[in-house]
Amino acid sequence: MLRIEARGLTKEFKSYKSRSGLMGAFRDLFSRNYMNIKAVDAIDLAINEGEMVGYIGENGAGKSTTIKMLTGILKPSSGFLRVNGMDPHRERENFVKTIGVVFGQRSQLWWDIAVQESFTLLKKVYRVSDAHYKRHMEHVIDVLDIEDLLARPVRKLSLGQRMRCELAAALIHNPPLLFLDEPTIGLDVLVKLKIRDFLKEMNKEYGTTVLLTTHDLSDIEALCSRVIMLDEGKVIYDGELNKLKEQMGSKKAVFVDFPYPVSLEKLESVTFGLPVSWSQIHPMQYRGVFRSEDLSVSHLLEAIIPSFEVTDLSIETMSTEEVVRKIYEEGFAHV
Amino acid sequence: MHYLSLFWYYMKQYFKSRMEYRTDLLNGIFSDLIFQTTNLVFILVVFQHTAFLEGWNKNEILFIYGFFLVPYAVFGTFFNLWNFQEKYIIKGEMDRVLTRPAHNLFQVMLETMDPPSLLGAITGMVIMGYSAFDMGMEIAWYDPFIFLGLVVSAALVYGGVYTGIAAIGFFSDSKTGITPMIWNIQNYGRYPVNIYNKVIKFILTWILPFAFVGVYPASYFLKKEEFAFYLYLTPVIGIVFFFLGITIWNIGVKNYRGAGS
Repeated sequence: MLRIEARGLTKEFKSYKSRSGLMGAFRDLFSRNYMNIKAVDAIDLAINEGEMVGYIGENGAGKSTTIKMLTGILKPSSGFLRVNGMDPHRERENFVKTIGVVFGQRSQLWWDIAVQESFTLLKKVYRVSDAHYKRHMEHVIDVLDIEDLLARPVRKLSLGQRMRCELAAALIHNPPLLFLDEPTIGLDVLVKLKIRDFLKEMNKEYGTTVLLTTHDLSDIEALCSRVIMLDEGKVIYDGELNKLKEQMGSKKAVFVDFPYPVSLEKLESVTFGLPVSWSQIHPMQYRGVFRSEDLSVSHLLEAIIPSFEVTDLSIETMSTEEVVRKIYEEGFAHV
Repeated sequence: MHYLSLFWYYMKQYFKSRMEYRTDLLNGIFSDLIFQTTNLVFILVVFQHTAFLEGWNKNEILFIYGFFLVPYAVFGTFFNLWNFQEKYIIKGEMDRVLTRPAHNLFQVMLETMDPPSLLGAITGMVIMGYSAFDMGMEIAWYDPFIFLGLVVSAALVYGGVYTGIAAIGFFSDSKTGITPMIWNIQNYGRYPVNIYNKVIKFILTWILPFAFVGVYPASYFLKKEEFAFYLYLTPVIGIVFFFLGITIWNIGVKNYRGAGS
């Protein structure tokens, strides 16, 4: 079953360009240069039950606008949209019972009162029965390890503690679909790990579908097998994270360290015939770029070791972070 | 039924969070009481010096003012929407409200409600009691019920008008000066409308029907036959304007653009 299905989903905002200077501001009073900005431009999405999908893109790429349409907050300008089999904006009050939402920058909880009290109220709002609440939330509270925080007022919690409580609050009604907008922003490594484990657990236990936007790509690496990348309102990549890396990843390279200075010519002569190009970092360290996938590191070493002593060897691979940075900078067309 | 129990839970939540801060709570109660007492004394003193107005005596005017305070207090408790635009639109809290399964206006009302405003109703009742006693007003057994009905209708008039005005926040990114303007107009509704010229009377009856919060319903107790028609219209106007307000609000929600981020 498709949890999210969108075809040609578009959101346009009308805005106007301000002219510069005082005179310009005065002229703006009478005639404005209106223009339509497509924050989200005819995107297609198909997300299946139980998937965990990372939704990435630069600031202003249209991620938040998409999430707001998918959660029923904003009305799409055009296009077809079904989430959990419903039209999110038109049937909003019914629809939101079937989703959970966490906005990392905004709190769900009541600032002044104990976490437990907020949970009780949300339980009322979502009409969750006591039995159901007990069964489900005990598990959630246990996995997130927030038992000790429940009696504390939200304002006294640290960001990491609060974020864990926010997650629990979003899951009170055990929704089959969870939207997370920057859930790990500003959190330390340990809390991040805890949150990731928790999301995995929910996904495994209840088959919760998760759509996650984040700037922290390690979140996505840890959780999502699939990524959707957005740029200027358009989907530029939709598929497996590994494939993205393969497509974008440049050639493999190794750094070789020697205990004494080595000349470039000598190195090139011993590896003559192998598809590798050397460049000198300094006389005792060289970088070799593999020109072919067939060449293995052991082959290379076999050629070098008879002639030189090697103190260290490190293999350079591109991190997801770098892959994505490269796409942001150069666009996808370069692939 | 569900909404009633939600109301109750939000109410409990409100008091819990107030009680979190002990000194603040005490200060709040103390200053509310002081405010209401000064208000009461001020009104009584001012009206001692008011001359007759177009066939209305001092007690009648005082009574209307006292009556007005009651629906106004009810309105102030539940429609505390003054900062709606800043808090919910500009800061984006509306996003959160819209992702919860209850009517969004209802949620906003419950989140912003201000029960201490209800104390104003006591001031109003004291003023009404004082002037009624002074006039030697007779009160029938069913009058309290009619009073209740009129208060609810009058509060709905206010609620409708201000909900509609708060909904303007959905269409504009910056603060509008409309609320203070309307607030000024509303003050005229506390006095007998026939002392004003025709245009103002028309506006206060049909456009911004603030006369239905003070003088028209109060005329029931003052036995002013000339307002009988408007008196019976009070519940109708209340319901019509409230629905009008909600309609504008709902259109606003459709237009909601969301805050940045």
